[in-house]
Amino acid sequence: MNRLTLAVAGGRKTQSIVDHCRAAPKERQILVLTYTQNNQRELSSRLARYRPLQAQVEVMGWFSFLLGHWVRPFLPMRWPGRRLRGLNFEGDPGMFTIGEKRFLDDDGRAYKRHLAQLALETHQASMGAVLNRLSRIYDEVHVDEVQDLNGYDLEVLAELLDSPMDIHLVGDVRQALIQTNVRDPKNKQYKGTSIKTWFDGHAQRKTLEIADASVTWRSNQLIADFADSIFDASWGFSKTVSENSIVTGHDGLFALAPKDVDEYMARFDPLCLRHSVASAKGLDLPFMNFAVAKGLSRDRVLIGPTGGIIDFLTKGKPMGELASCSLYVAVTRARFSVAFVADDPSRLGLPVWMP
Amino acid sequence: MINRIIVKGYRRFGTLDISPNAGMNIIVGDNESGKSTLLEAVALALTGKVNGRWASEELSPFWFNQARVAEFFAKYGTDDQVALPEILIELYLADRDEFQRLRGVHNSLQTPECPGVRLRVVPSDQYAEEFEAYLQDSPPAILPVEFYTVDWRDFADNPLTQRPKELAASFIDSRTIRSTSGVDYHTREMLAENIDPKERARIAIAHRKSRQELTEGTLAEINARLAKEHSSLHDRPIGLQMDQSARASWESGIVPQVDDIPFAMAGQGQQAAIKVALAMSRTSGTSTFILIEEPENHLSHTSLTKLIARIEGLASDDQQLFVTTHSSFVLNRLGVDKLVLLHDETPAKLEDLGEDTAAYFRKLAGYDTLRLVLARKLALVEGPSDTIALERAYKDATGRLPSEDGIDIISMGGLTFKRALELCACLDRQAVALQDNDDRSQAEVLSEVDHLLVPGKRIMLVSDPAKGKTLEPQMCSVNDDKTLRRVLGITDRAKPVTWMTNNKTEWALRVLDASETIAFPDYITEAVGLLR
Repeated sequence: MNRLTLAVAGGRKTQSIVDHCRAAPKERQILVLTYTQNNQRELSSRLARYRPLQAQVEVMGWFSFLLGHWVRPFLPMRWPGRRLRGLNFEGDPGMFTIGEKRFLDDDGRAYKRHLAQLALETHQASMGAVLNRLSRIYDEVHVDEVQDLNGYDLEVLAELLDSPMDIHLVGDVRQALIQTNVRDPKNKQYKGTSIKTWFDGHAQRKTLEIADASVTWRSNQLIADFADSIFDASWGFSKTVSENSIVTGHDGLFALAPKDVDEYMARFDPLCLRHSVASAKGLDLPFMNFAVAKGLSRDRVLIGPTGGIIDFLTKGKPMGELASCSLYVAVTRARFSVAFVADDPSRLGLPVWMP
Repeated sequence: MINRIIVKGYRRFGTLDISPNAGMNIIVGDNESGKSTLLEAVALALTGKVNGRWASEELSPFWFNQARVAEFFAKYGTDDQVALPEILIELYLADRDEFQRLRGVHNSLQTPECPGVRLRVVPSDQYAEEFEAYLQDSPPAILPVEFYTVDWRDFADNPLTQRPKELAASFIDSRTIRSTSGVDYHTREMLAENIDPKERARIAIAHRKSRQELTEGTLAEINARLAKEHSSLHDRPIGLQMDQSARASWESGIVPQVDDIPFAMAGQGQQAAIKVALAMSRTSGTSTFILIEEPENHLSHTSLTKLIARIEGLASDDQQLFVTTHSSFVLNRLGVDKLVLLHDETPAKLEDLGEDTAAYFRKLAGYDTLRLVLARKLALVEGPSDTIALERAYKDATGRLPSEDGIDIISMGGLTFKRALELCACLDRQAVALQDNDDRSQAEVLSEVDHLLVPGKRIMLVSDPAKGKTLEPQMCSVNDDKTLRRVLGITDRAKPVTWMTNNKTEWALRVLDASETIAFPDYITEAVGLLR
């Protein structure tokens, strides 16, 4: 049966895949797919700790998967005489290019932005050979950070769900930050957090079983509650329950005046986060952008908020979808405390920290 | 398992397309028919190596089919110019789950159903200009392999850098092993696979330790002395130490032994037997291809019988064997139905041969089946006297011996005409069979083999029952007794028919040498007419 585990931040998503691989029986052929390179490294190194595993486990990036198993073996069936010679990361064949030039550059490299479409079309031209081959190599496929897939990736995913392989998807739609392809009009109704709608559709067709994993092992309940509050109830996300009950004496959410930042840094050594290089300009701190922080885990976080975040905190004004996801990622990095820096900290409605 | 082998432009093969048997394949053919080349091609595509060296390092102009090379140079620059010669070796594997990673549409048949591997030798894109310049310069008709590249991939178009782990290959050749390292490359490979990684590590560590001890012990004393004596000659100390380079790895210092005798010093027969044993003891369950060259070499009949029994044990669902041979004994014992005959690039197989016929040949292991298989034009006769009679009749009519015209006269010995003709039918051979009537009507004799005969191709001639049941009365019916007595050199009292029947081969030899004109029965004369 195909499963989707929708976990919260700190819900040990990646670890659940690692644990599954460890428990899998001998002879089981397992493929683990991830989207980011960071995640791929993380998975490989965690699995390496438990080697030798009983099962045969292979970790692969999403693009390598499409190139190696979907496109390369059967490309001539879609575009006769053509061979795949690599991946064109940045290139753009132009919006209106059609035919094979839309997919392959002059050196035979596949454009990354249309790779999933090429994969799908090659699969269709192969008359089932792609999936037949794949399902005879692997017994099960795990896809980590599934919320990052969109456009034609979802079509590829749908083919996997219909295959004889056991598919296990793991993700958190509230962290739908990365888009695999910047300009892919296919399935645009499922972009970002709307991917939940796509999953629900497959659940209705019984090709997918959705399980909510709402326990976080990272953030304490105060932070978890705040993170939940970023998305309004209409999303239908279940309430996050924290298993982190450690009390440090500085727990939960705080507001902070710029003048106290130095002292705060010295006292708590938080991870400093901002939306982008354009935000929190007045603060000279070792900032990291929200999106980059994905997957990290720290005791404490300091945030240089955007205007939108200030409005959300002071007036409860809802933020856009992408901004909400970013903020969600930022606060859920913290185990114990999150501090927002504001010129007038008392307006944020949070306890104000002073030395 | 390999289902199909396609070779193009490699050595003597312009094009070879062959579908081997699942378990055992016995490859026979004349000298120079490409038996070894076929094994070499299979090994090349499976391992990317030739004699332990990478194809790209060993590549030579003589790998290319010389007919194609000659055609290329002859037509170069003319209107009929042909493409540069290339080499293609493709192995199509059975559509099994464990081979799926090797599956794709990148093969010359463009089938998506097949896993497989292919090795190509093609002109390198990098040197296209240099190649063109070279050709402009009216060079000798030899291909400059420097401008070629070896492209080794699976059918999914993934480049291969080592033998795919799904495929294991053992090459057992019977070349004499007297190399300095003691063991040839293929044997070393097989040995290595019989030692598990932990054992290898243990050997390596012990080996290094003993070398270290030598350096620190005996050599240290000598070095101390050398340092003292030479300090006046050179300002840095000179000494001896054990070689620590890769060359000094234990693999090159440790050799296999048989009964306490180093492998290389063992008898050649024993070496061959050991190689087969090594190939057998590989971890079961892995799909293996075992290539064996002429197992009959260096072996006595008894040892060969033992070896053949072992080779038979190797063929299974998971192991595919390719055995080349010149020995009918090997062929009969391993199963005539497993024969793959290489002959002018159109290999023939005997898969249609009945199982009972194969079993029959197996029992008749001493029979010279290969002669039957390899002959271009065949005459099948009852026994030695018929052979000699036919030879004489042929020579009388043509002035030449049958062998000079490529006709092989084969005496049935213990074999029945039916079995022999079945083999000929499977190979689509031309043959003329001459059979005694043994007191039966010609129609009755013919009815037994009727389904195997083809007018103008495979014909059976039966002697006339009215003129005697065997060759001797037949001869007496067409020659008068007086002539026969003179030719045979027997007394007037002796009755030629009786004497001939009692001295079967002898009368034939005397007829062969006779200077007089001898008449032959109709069926023999007719046979001569068909054969010439």
